[in-house]
Amino acid sequence: MNLFKRFTLFLASAAFLIPQVFAHHSTRGIYDDDLVMELTGTVKEWAFVNPHPYLTLSAEDENGVLRDWDISYGGAAVVHLTRQGYRSDTFKPGDIITVHGNPALKQGVYGLLMEGGNNHPTREDGTPVVAGGSMF
Amino acid sequence: MKAVNSFNEKARFITMLGILAGLVAGSNLVMSAQADIPELTGYWSFGQCAGGRFSGCMTLEENDPKLTERARAYQAAIDELAQPKYDCAPMPIPHMYTDPYSFRLEQLEDRVLVYYGKDDVVRTIWLEGHGHPTPAINEFFYFGYAQGRYENGALVVTTDRFTFDPQGLNADFRIPSSTQKQLFERFSRDGDDLVLEVSTTDTFFLKEPWEFTIRSTPVTDMGDAWTCELDGARRSLRFEISKYPNDPEAERIDYR
Repeated sequence: MNLFKRFTLFLASAAFLIPQVFAHHSTRGIYDDDLVMELTGTVKEWAFVNPHPYLTLSAEDENGVLRDWDISYGGAAVVHLTRQGYRSDTFKPGDIITVHGNPALKQGVYGLLMEGGNNHPTREDGTPVVAGGSMF
Repeated sequence: MKAVNSFNEKARFITMLGILAGLVAGSNLVMSAQADIPELTGYWSFGQCAGGRFSGCMTLEENDPKLTERARAYQAAIDELAQPKYDCAPMPIPHMYTDPYSFRLEQLEDRVLVYYGKDDVVRTIWLEGHGHPTPAINEFFYFGYAQGRYENGALVVTTDRFTFDPQGLNADFRIPSSTQKQLFERFSRDGDDLVLEVSTTDTFFLKEPWEFTIRSTPVTDMGDAWTCELDGARRSLRFEISKYPNDPEAERIDYR
């Protein structure tokens, strides 16, 4: 079974727009606001650290090449994600998850912005990894 | 002889009364002065906007109408890659208050120390009347020169003599501050809470004062303080796109 097949780019629609509720940190010019990507892969690293927690996901790019994707929560700090239910053990290496977010604009690097709202990664059975809620 | 003794006793009694009255008056003055000094020492949570739990009130937005044309031109010219924060240059004040880190206040006789949970910053507020020398005309400071006094139950602080800072008003949106930046802070207590009123002026980059009021609650320690480390600070740089692709690629010094 190829776990990395689900790689989809589609135009942002109302259903997938990520609310920029955390406008404190500028990500403008880094990520493509007009595109939302769905990416399924295997967790390589979960760094629940300040100043900004990040997730490294091993997943295929559009050409079927396995890449390490930097999944960013933008300007959120540990305290913000903790309020949404994240913990240091929310993800473990080997977990298979699906994320939605804006891809990085720069060519040759692989990043996705997860920032905002209650758009949380989901596990294989489709359940969100956290209950969600306000960051504030 | 007896009359003299009687006179002396009366004089001593009156003198004693005078001393007593003086002591009472003096202690009242001391009590009054002490009552004027709020208890600020302790650990405080990062501030939330007064009246709500959000931090939006203290963010100078990217397109904030308070910004001068000069500020907008600067924003347009400078790129994110050149920002000092990627070298662990600390967040400026008052932008520092927007970050979600606790802080600590320590009141000493001649100064108040502010320990910020972000970037390992300790700021000194020199209390007036203790003879601290004022800076020389050519002295400027990253966190400015802060002078404070107790007034009506609050610590009132004026800070100026800031160095020009390319991220001095907002480190996320490339909004600088000039040597004309002035910061006015008023720390007071409302029950258990600490209330901080902040007003910032900078005639070069702000059309009007940038003001906000935040409220902090007591906490037991500095919590998840982050003292900055280069790998973490520079992590997102690989995603940044230079505004000046024809320039030689900027290499950063590894200060470690």
